Amino acid sequence: MTLPLAHMLIVAPKREVWWIGAIEALVILNALLLTFAFMTLIERKVLGRLQLRYGPNRAGPFGIIQPFADLIKLVRKAPFQPDRLIHPALYLGAPVLSATMAFLAFSVIPWGGGWELYGYQIDGQVVNVPISLVVVFAIGSISTYGVLIGGWVSESKFALLGAMRTGAQLVSYEVALALSVLGVVLMARSLSLTEIVAAQHRTIWYVVPQIVGFGCFAIAGVAEVGRAPFDLPEAEQELVAGYHTEFSGMRWGLFQIAEYVHMITVSALMVTLFFGGWLFPVLHRFGPIWFVLKLAIVLFCFIWARASLPRLRYDQLMNLGWKVLLPIATVNAVATAFFVVLR
Amino acid sequence: MSAGNILVWIVWFTAAAGCIGSALAVVALRNALFSALALIGNLVSLAVFYLLLSAEFVAAAQVLIYAGAVMVMFLFVIAYVGWDLDIAWTGGPSWQTLGGIVAAAALLAELVVVIVLGAANDLKHSNKIAVDFGDPASIGRVFLSNHLLAFEVISIVLLVAAIGGVILGAQRRRERSGGIR
Repeated sequence: MTLPLAHMLIVAPKREVWWIGAIEALVILNALLLTFAFMTLIERKVLGRLQLRYGPNRAGPFGIIQPFADLIKLVRKAPFQPDRLIHPALYLGAPVLSATMAFLAFSVIPWGGGWELYGYQIDGQVVNVPISLVVVFAIGSISTYGVLIGGWVSESKFALLGAMRTGAQLVSYEVALALSVLGVVLMARSLSLTEIVAAQHRTIWYVVPQIVGFGCFAIAGVAEVGRAPFDLPEAEQELVAGYHTEFSGMRWGLFQIAEYVHMITVSALMVTLFFGGWLFPVLHRFGPIWFVLKLAIVLFCFIWARASLPRLRYDQLMNLGWKVLLPIATVNAVATAFFVVLR
Repeated sequence: MSAGNILVWIVWFTAAAGCIGSALAVVALRNALFSALALIGNLVSLAVFYLLLSAEFVAAAQVLIYAGAVMVMFLFVIAYVGWDLDIAWTGGPSWQTLGGIVAAAALLAELVVVIVLGAANDLKHSNKIAVDFGDPASIGRVFLSNHLLAFEVISIVLLVAAIGGVILGAQRRRERSGGIR
């Protein structure tokens, strides 16, 4: 074996066998889809409760099969498209790219400590790369194109404005987001999410020493996903529905999947970086259960924020990103570097 | 030839074809939007090469910064200027065309010379790379020791660019507000 990639793919020591990774990928993919489906229900339920109404409660007990009703409706819906469409391939490719990249980003998130079953090594994540944190950000930055291209090829002013807002918002907040995790990276001395979780096992959950970084990450994370109060890309009162105005049926569904999976990934990243990932003081073997519990709490906060905070104005959004979050995150990173070197 | 090697060759050929094809598409396509999309493809296939050379961090940084952030700016500008104008480029001054051809030929000659000279000795040692080759720590160490001057000069260049951007933006705002200084 001479070439390095071959080494990485095939003969690396203590790696799980490739088909176990494939099974894990399948399980995670379906778990994400299922989480997405029920997130739509839970979101509507929680929003309803926070606004003193019931939310969906007709399809099945407590409305529990509402997501399946929604799915059947979406799949059966005739896919309308603008008749002055010039680039149909880009129009169809945009939602596909968005959804693919959203799923891809989750593959490096660790959700367990790894187990040994019948002599086979099973890792606690689909792929384990030493620079997984950078990989998540890289894939996230590519997924922007789905929204941008989708907005432009729609040949509609609303969609174009939504796409432009998305571009400006995501670029602005990606900087603050990357800088806010720098403190965690410096403390763990690693870019590997697995290593960062292990480092929190040795010391303390990083939400305590990195409370400032956590605050920046939480705000920039919500902005990066584009959900309320940062939902300017789709702002229905101003832009109809923003970048996906001209998409319908399952094409719109793919954008929706991308948005929710993106939200799940950012929440998982938050759990991993600041709340010890799958760790809990007791019963480490049940890592995935702790991980899902923490994830559920963070996701609930996402919905809570949507229900209680008004949308920012565009200039407020830019001011918050560049003049508040960026300086705070930078000072936090420099201060953390200072303390790490001193210790 | 083992299965791993065949896989590597398939990946390499796909990336090479994508790289050359998208590079041609960048200059050949008339629509600026498609040129920009082809450039993204080019940058991503370069990242695959970095991956094959076991420089994972450089590959991820390439995708994150060039394919991600920089190209979003490109698309942003193209969208504002109007990407569907479809105005064909009629050609710049002839000295520009000549200069472009000369520069491209010089680069090609340079590459051929380097490969011919290097293939004899240096390029054969792909299996003798260190364990920490290309990981963030070793890259940082090289930046802050052997290439410290270049590293610092780049930071000054970026600072100049940032300040220039702020000044340009402030100037436009002053003009808009009726020349109040």
